Amino acid sequence: MSEMILEVENLQKVYPNGTHALKGVSFDVKKGEFLVVIGLSGSGKSTLLRCINRLHDPTSGSVKFEGTEATTLKGKSLRGLRTRIGMIFQHFNLIPRRTVMTNVLSGTLAKRPVIKSILGIYPAQDVKKAHEFIKIVGLEGKENHRADNLSGGQQQRVAIARALMQNPSILLADEPVASLDPATSHSVMQYLKKVNEELGVTIVCNLHFLSLVRQYASRVIALKDGLKIYEGEPRDIDENWFQTIYGEDAVEVTID
Amino acid sequence: MTAKNEALSTQRPISKPKTMQVKAVLAALSIDTLLWAYTLLVTYKIVYQKLFLGLRYPDFGWDQPLIALGIGFAVSLALFFTKLSIGRASQGLYQLDDNKHIMKEPFIYFGYIVILLTFVAAYFVSQVSIREFLSESGINGAKRIFTALFQPNLAILEEAVFAAVETIYMAFIATTVALPFAFILGFLAARNLMDGSRISFTIYSLTRFFLNVSRSIEPLVWAIIFSVWVGIGPFAGMLALCLHSVSSLAKLYSEQIENISNGPIEAITATGAHPIQVIWYGVVPQIVLPYLSFTIYRWDINVRMATVIGLVGGGGIGTMLMQYQGLAKWNEVGLLVIVIAAIVWIMDWSSSRLREAIK
Repeated sequence: MSEMILEVENLQKVYPNGTHALKGVSFDVKKGEFLVVIGLSGSGKSTLLRCINRLHDPTSGSVKFEGTEATTLKGKSLRGLRTRIGMIFQHFNLIPRRTVMTNVLSGTLAKRPVIKSILGIYPAQDVKKAHEFIKIVGLEGKENHRADNLSGGQQQRVAIARALMQNPSILLADEPVASLDPATSHSVMQYLKKVNEELGVTIVCNLHFLSLVRQYASRVIALKDGLKIYEGEPRDIDENWFQTIYGEDAVEVTID
Repeated sequence: MTAKNEALSTQRPISKPKTMQVKAVLAALSIDTLLWAYTLLVTYKIVYQKLFLGLRYPDFGWDQPLIALGIGFAVSLALFFTKLSIGRASQGLYQLDDNKHIMKEPFIYFGYIVILLTFVAAYFVSQVSIREFLSESGINGAKRIFTALFQPNLAILEEAVFAAVETIYMAFIATTVALPFAFILGFLAARNLMDGSRISFTIYSLTRFFLNVSRSIEPLVWAIIFSVWVGIGPFAGMLALCLHSVSSLAKLYSEQIENISNGPIEAITATGAHPIQVIWYGVVPQIVLPYLSFTIYRWDINVRMATVIGLVGGGGIGTMLMQYQGLAKWNEVGLLVIVIAAIVWIMDWSSSRLREAIK
């Protein structure tokens, strides 16, 4: 349990428009953890996740993933890093007008030759693996449905299956339930929990709801205005901490 | 926390509003100057020289607009702080009275005067003449042509239909040949894909420049160039249409790419895919249907344009129309007009049906 999979140190990000989104954030993630990042909108949570897999380039600081420095990688080695980091998004970001199967298979693009992937040729073992993951996220029989015709919760599960196809050692989840209703939120969170416990994938997840945090997280960090202001066990977040993180007037809303 | 925020704000001093203010005042002043110069010039040339002095061809010298600009500048300076300044209104430098409707402000009345002057000027410049429109000899000539047009010569129907088929095929091949070029150029001219590095941005700017230049030259002009190059006939017309289609389609395509959602691109990039795979899986599925719809619409436009291009020797039914019109054979022209109308109608109807079906 003690082996570090991700070490983030003094990470800073300034956007070209001058927004100082991260002002020096440091934390470590242990293998097998379910780490949740909480904070208000605009506190830098999304930027933090995107700096880990370099969808955004951090301005300074270091990100060590499985011992390799990620912030200096380029081209092929950067793509290699990304294959080992799965990611799911608030708005699912599935390929529109394509089937569930194609969407799940798109998780394997990195190891396919460009020409073959453009022609849509996938090896049989990948297709078999895709079927398995679709089964794991409970969408058996929907392989040939158009992904954009599914409900929100189902689309997010397709996204999870797509990320799993990468065989990732870590899964980044950027507010995965923020555009879902309460019941569906729990179902998606349970699938993430299952991925974490049964497949041993480390999870770093941005969340809004403290009730979900208490239920699923093994550890929590809180961001405010681009700085880490809390790190600890989910059950230790009391009323005082809640108001520090979310502001004086905040009232906790539960989701069940 | 607060100390940190203060430190941040001192790093970048807030000098922006002041330069913005200066810019706005300069813009307001130049708008006013141009408007007053225009008003004075038009009043002098049209109202004074044409209407008052009744000159048919008033003299023109470059000193006139320059003097107008000078006086305009003086007038706008003098009136800058009154409510007649449209420039200040357009730059948002007025403190408008909320109780007064904006249409009742003085600068709006000045705007009305400018529009009225433009109308008067346009009337004289276009040489509108009711007398000529209703003259007896003119009406007789028109009558002769109209009677002939309404008695189309059916003997050349076969020939006309063949020429029409030639036009439709010409438009089709022009569209399909243009397609792959436009497809590739569309990506190169999409800002959101190309602003990553300096090299790609240069490619983007060059592509945009090429597209804008080739699009601003009318296909009619291209047809004349190509009819000299490859000889009069459908091939010249096809080349002209093709070139114009490449630039128009590439423009439409690139705008479509600029409007796509970033989500799928982000997701596919996050899987570690190659940039070409990102385009194929993240971009292409979002643009295929709009592309198809644009392309069908382009074919429709090309058929109509092919007719016009035929007039300058691009082949097809347009060339035939020009030949009969040159011989003043109005009965034949009448038939051709009917055939062209039929094609345009059929193409319009079927292309809108097709585009609806694939939505």
